[in-house]
Amino acid sequence: MRLAYLADKIGAQVLTNRDKAARIEIERAYAGDRMSNLLSEGSETTLLVTNLSNAMLPRVAELVDAAGLCLLNGLSPERETVKAAEERGIVLIISPVGMFETCGRLYQCLDRGRSATR
Amino acid sequence: MTSNTYSISGGDFQRAGAAASRLKEQLKRIGVEQETVRRAVIAAYEAEMNVVIHARKGNMRVMLDAGQIDVEVTDAGPGIPDIDQAMQEGFSTAPLEAIELGFGAGMGLPNIKKNSDVFDIESTVGKGTRVSFRLCLAPQNASVDTANSVRVSAELCRECLHCLRSCPTQALRVRNGKPEVLEHLCIDCGACIRVCGTGALNMVGEAEVPRPTDETVLIVPSAFLVQFGARGDPHDVLAGLAGLGFLDVRLTEGWEDALREAVMEYASKGTPSRPVISPVCPAVVNLIEMRFPSLMDNLAPFLSPVEAMCEEFAGHRVVLLAACPSQSTAIKSNSLAADVRIVLATSLRYALLPLVTRADNGTAKWRDKHCVAAACRDEAILEVSGIDHVMAVLEKAEDGALGDIELMELFACSQGCFGSPFYSEDPFVARHRRLDELGLPDTTARAVRRKAPCSARAGLRLDDDMSKAIEKLSRIDEIAGSLPGRDCGMCGAPTCSAFAEDVVLGRATESACVHLNGSEDETT
Repeated sequence: MRLAYLADKIGAQVLTNRDKAARIEIERAYAGDRMSNLLSEGSETTLLVTNLSNAMLPRVAELVDAAGLCLLNGLSPERETVKAAEERGIVLIISPVGMFETCGRLYQCLDRGRSATR
Repeated sequence: MTSNTYSISGGDFQRAGAAASRLKEQLKRIGVEQETVRRAVIAAYEAEMNVVIHARKGNMRVMLDAGQIDVEVTDAGPGIPDIDQAMQEGFSTAPLEAIELGFGAGMGLPNIKKNSDVFDIESTVGKGTRVSFRLCLAPQNASVDTANSVRVSAELCRECLHCLRSCPTQALRVRNGKPEVLEHLCIDCGACIRVCGTGALNMVGEAEVPRPTDETVLIVPSAFLVQFGARGDPHDVLAGLAGLGFLDVRLTEGWEDALREAVMEYASKGTPSRPVISPVCPAVVNLIEMRFPSLMDNLAPFLSPVEAMCEEFAGHRVVLLAACPSQSTAIKSNSLAADVRIVLATSLRYALLPLVTRADNGTAKWRDKHCVAAACRDEAILEVSGIDHVMAVLEKAEDGALGDIELMELFACSQGCFGSPFYSEDPFVARHRRLDELGLPDTTARAVRRKAPCSARAGLRLDDDMSKAIEKLSRIDEIAGSLPGRDCGMCGAPTCSAFAEDVVLGRATESACVHLNGSEDETT
């Protein structure tokens, strides 16, 4: 599913790289608050969901070519983080709700359980 | 070789990751494969963050050489008092500042190890730490520098031609009274050995069990334990093996389980090509590299259990009971650090027979207590055994007709390694007798990633030059059309079309066909 469409469906706001959000395809999401895990799980088709919001995040995402970052609870990140995401071509979206509910919405949108194969 | 050094300043979270970014840039520019870039970058970033979190300053030195990337990260930091403890997932001494940023989860060092092929760490308290790791870039091509492991004893052949038809890749010829293996086509599956009644085809290996020393480890397939008939208690076999005097006796079972778990985890990641194929059987990996190269991406990137075990015993002497030629070839072709000697199952069996076959007391008591039904495999995995079925399933997979299947375990032998050509028990019976566990779980068992990706074998290619290959193809068709199509095998090739190919590639002359030569009247 296109990231822009997915963001719309879960009620998230796209902060950076809107054009890219309309192009990239998301197949799965990974949620976690440890950099090591985000680094290991990120991929071109993965949306990383996290409570972290520091300026290191976009760099980690960029290193593993992760498509996008989803921050939580409707909290705007620091300017540094937005700037870093902008520069590194990372799509930053903000979900209005917490991790549990965000993941629930993503799970439904990404149709898990029904399309186990690609 | 080129070498670059990047400096890393401790505590500077703003610039952290710059060295890993530079490495990524470099690797992409020299055309390193994407998955390798990813692994290198993850390992480099973790190493870099360790310096930022724990040390005042450090350096990352990247050395690119043909075939490998070496990265060395050194720092002038506090050092690590207990490296074993630091290697445990979840152990961390990171300060609060780092933890608040999402670092210091105790995953750094394990993550570096997981994402590299060779990993090393040394540390002196009060002076600093040096972490180095290596990733291999060049694909390894087993077919080029290593022959297969089928041994031909020509004097024993009586030209029954059974082997010709048994070979799934048409790699055998029987000419001038002796079998000949076309090494570039052989996948070491052992099908020919199974049907050979005379011993003309066998496997390379030692016919006598090497004298045990106190530094030699013996590796035995679990299926070997049930090769001693109805009354041959596997526990006795194990005790017999332990009594031979080796430093250690290890079974493959734990490593097979570890591979299965790793492959299941790999398959659940969502990114790999479906269906994921477990590399459990080296003969199937060979088959895919040669006959189904489009499915190489479906192979999970791990070593087979036996290869992983030999890798584990780097620096040791290992005696391996190889269940088939493909295991033997896999061990020989991987530049493993361990010194491995291959022993034949028959020789080990003879050594143990007197110890295992006890006085006939009527019933087999061990079975009542321990035997578990063979059906203990995970239902999510499609298990296919027997080379014909494996070929059929791979054809389907290549056509994209197996989209509903997530994960496959394919075995060249019927019932997997229970069907080894060197075992005397019927594979179905042996598998039925298997013990679910012998009460000795192998806690060190783990899956080992391949050092280098698989690479397609040129085996089937008629010529390196494609236009010449097309020319040859049409000549093969022409000659095959003039042959009777009986696939009688008298010329020494398994089929008429294989014979036509032999003629075009200069391996045979048309006069070898008895039907073309003799008068057609003979055919009545």
